[in-house]
Amino acid sequence: MLKINNLSAKIDNKSILQDFKLEINPGEVHAIMGPNGSGKSTLSNILSGKKGYDVTGEVLFENSDLFSLETEERAHKGIFLAFQYPLEIPGVNTNVFLKTSLNAIKKARGEKELDAIQFLKLVKEKAKELKFDEEKLGRQLNVGFSGGEKKKNEILQMSILNPKLSILDETDSGLDIDALKTVADGVNALRKKNNSFLIITHYQRLLEYIKPDFVHVLMNGKIIKSGGPDLALELEKKGYENIN
Amino acid sequence: MEEQLKIDFEKKLKDFSYSDQEKKFKETNFKEFLKQGFPNRKLESWKFSDLNQIIKSNIGELTFYNDYKKENQIDKIQLISDLEHNKLIVIDGKIEKIDFKFEEKDKIEVLVEQGEETIKENINSLINLNNAFSNKFCKIIIKKNYSLKKPLVIYHSTNKNTQSKNTNSRIDFKLEENACLRLIDIFKDNTEKNFLNIYYNFELDKSSILKNYKIDKSINNNVKYSYNNVKQEANSISETFILSSGSKFFKNEINCNLQGQHSSAFVNGIFDLDDENHHEIKSNINHLVENTKSYQLVKSVLEKKSKAVYQGKIFVSSEAQKTDGYQLSNAILLSENSEFNAKPELEIYADDVKCSHGSSSGSLDENSIFYLMSRGLNYKEAKKLLINGFLLDVIEKITDEEIKNLIKNLLGVKE
Ligand SMILES: Nc1ncnc2c1ncn2[C@@H]1O[C@H](COP(=O)(O)OP(=O)(O)OP(=O)(O)O)[C@@H](O)[C@H]1O
Ligand SMILES: [Mg+2]
Repeated sequence: MLKINNLSAKIDNKSILQDFKLEINPGEVHAIMGPNGSGKSTLSNILSGKKGYDVTGEVLFENSDLFSLETEERAHKGIFLAFQYPLEIPGVNTNVFLKTSLNAIKKARGEKELDAIQFLKLVKEKAKELKFDEEKLGRQLNVGFSGGEKKKNEILQMSILNPKLSILDETDSGLDIDALKTVADGVNALRKKNNSFLIITHYQRLLEYIKPDFVHVLMNGKIIKSGGPDLALELEKKGYENIN
Repeated sequence: MEEQLKIDFEKKLKDFSYSDQEKKFKETNFKEFLKQGFPNRKLESWKFSDLNQIIKSNIGELTFYNDYKKENQIDKIQLISDLEHNKLIVIDGKIEKIDFKFEEKDKIEVLVEQGEETIKENINSLINLNNAFSNKFCKIIIKKNYSLKKPLVIYHSTNKNTQSKNTNSRIDFKLEENACLRLIDIFKDNTEKNFLNIYYNFELDKSSILKNYKIDKSINNNVKYSYNNVKQEANSISETFILSSGSKFFKNEINCNLQGQHSSAFVNGIFDLDDENHHEIKSNINHLVENTKSYQLVKSVLEKKSKAVYQGKIFVSSEAQKTDGYQLSNAILLSENSEFNAKPELEIYADDVKCSHGSSSGSLDENSIFYLMSRGLNYKEAKKLLINGFLLDVIEKITDEEIKNLIKNLLGVKE
């Protein structure tokens, strides 16, 4: 599904990712762990199409060149990024935003757009599953949301958009224990349908709820070690300095 | 220009048989305008908008005489269709039609030929120009305790052949105690190179409410100036909302005298400018007695080489304790060549007051754009959503639901 070959990225001549390689197949869950500043969010941003990086290398998504696609086209094709720091968008109603987003994607795929009633039904159902307070959907997008509520809102968007590849950038940071479980349930529900995940986290705990197929350690812009779920446990014990 | 002015003024005086008093009033004003000419940047309140220069470069030579005996065609004007309303139609400065068909006849008085105006007004030279050249004097009185059932829409238009002309119109309004008027000004002139000069006087008696919405949305190449002079007695409320967008140049000036206790003034506006349009809002809120309140919020979205100016002044006299004055402006610059100038001014002579002001401007937040695009919106859609969100709080300040919806539709703000 996703194939990253020799990806290097720089900002203002500062190298952030170097010869990064990763392959994700349908239905797989990959976890990336790595110290602050190692390039995890940069990777997520590049995959989603954020501008401002000098990149070399190749990224294929379902065999097509990702770099030839605009940000919104990547979303249309099924790439979703749950932001480490979701943005506050004043004056934009959360429900209106969710509907605009879902219908933009449906339209691009040539699918039938949802009308207001169908949409509300869907959003209610998903909000309930994720124990997301419906009242918040009537508010301005992320404005006045707590840190955890913002993260849950990202997962709500994910479950509504039903993406093929979801990148979760530290979605677990700032979530309470119950929220962590509901978020994991949301991920696992999508996973059943053969969707793939790239989960960025600092904590082994999330991976107890979402069992990854692979765990990678990212340091200084490179994957220095890959393994199964046990690698996360080892990391938690030893720390990044003593791995290898 | 002076030559033309004199010829046109002579013609003007011959048109009607003015009483000596009227004639004198006009002559005094004319002389004053001759002396001062169009305002230029040497005047503090015109330093961001040099009207003299703007007229020179956009119009060139103007003529000032309009034949008011001639009937103008009014059926060409596109009326608002989704809102029931009373109408007043002004073409080339002449009132062609007044229609209060939704109202009780004895609750509204319209005086058309009152000529006892003698006050020499020294507001600025454009008011002098207006007094010298405007047609008959029109005054609309809303009687005590009467609230108009439907809004009054004033359509401002020009004949399709009108070009390089200055047109002047003046209307006075009196809202008696506890009366209420919703007044919408719609600018429907799609001509070019004209200078429209509009002057309103409002007297708001005790507990009366005026809501004035000025909508300049249709694109035209004219230059406009509008002056609202509002006097407010106790407990009266004035709400002004300006959507400044379609004209080449538009300066809206609002002067509010809060002279009765617990009176309040709200001035809100949106600059939605493109191309090389240059618009200004200038407000003077004068808090003259205790316990008065003013609130101002102006938001700008500026494309290309457009320029917006907001000069908001809050004056608090020494008697005006417990004044509450607030003023804020925010601008989004969508191009490197667009420009926003804010000049807040507080002049406070009382000590127990609550006054604040603030201003900010910046470009569209690229991270927010990325966030929205990552959810499947293209750049244009993301930008539109962000801009609508940015404008929403000022639109929400409109207290009349019907008119709020009308303006939302005009701006393409969906919910
Ligand atoms: N726009 C930018 N300009 C300059 N440097 C940047 C920019 N964005 C990221 N960096 C730098 O690139 C490096 C990687 O940043 P990144 O955000 O990808 O780290 P991260 O692994 O996500 O860290 P964390 O665990 O703290 O979220 C950091 O040193 C950061 O300072
Ligand atoms: Mg990060």
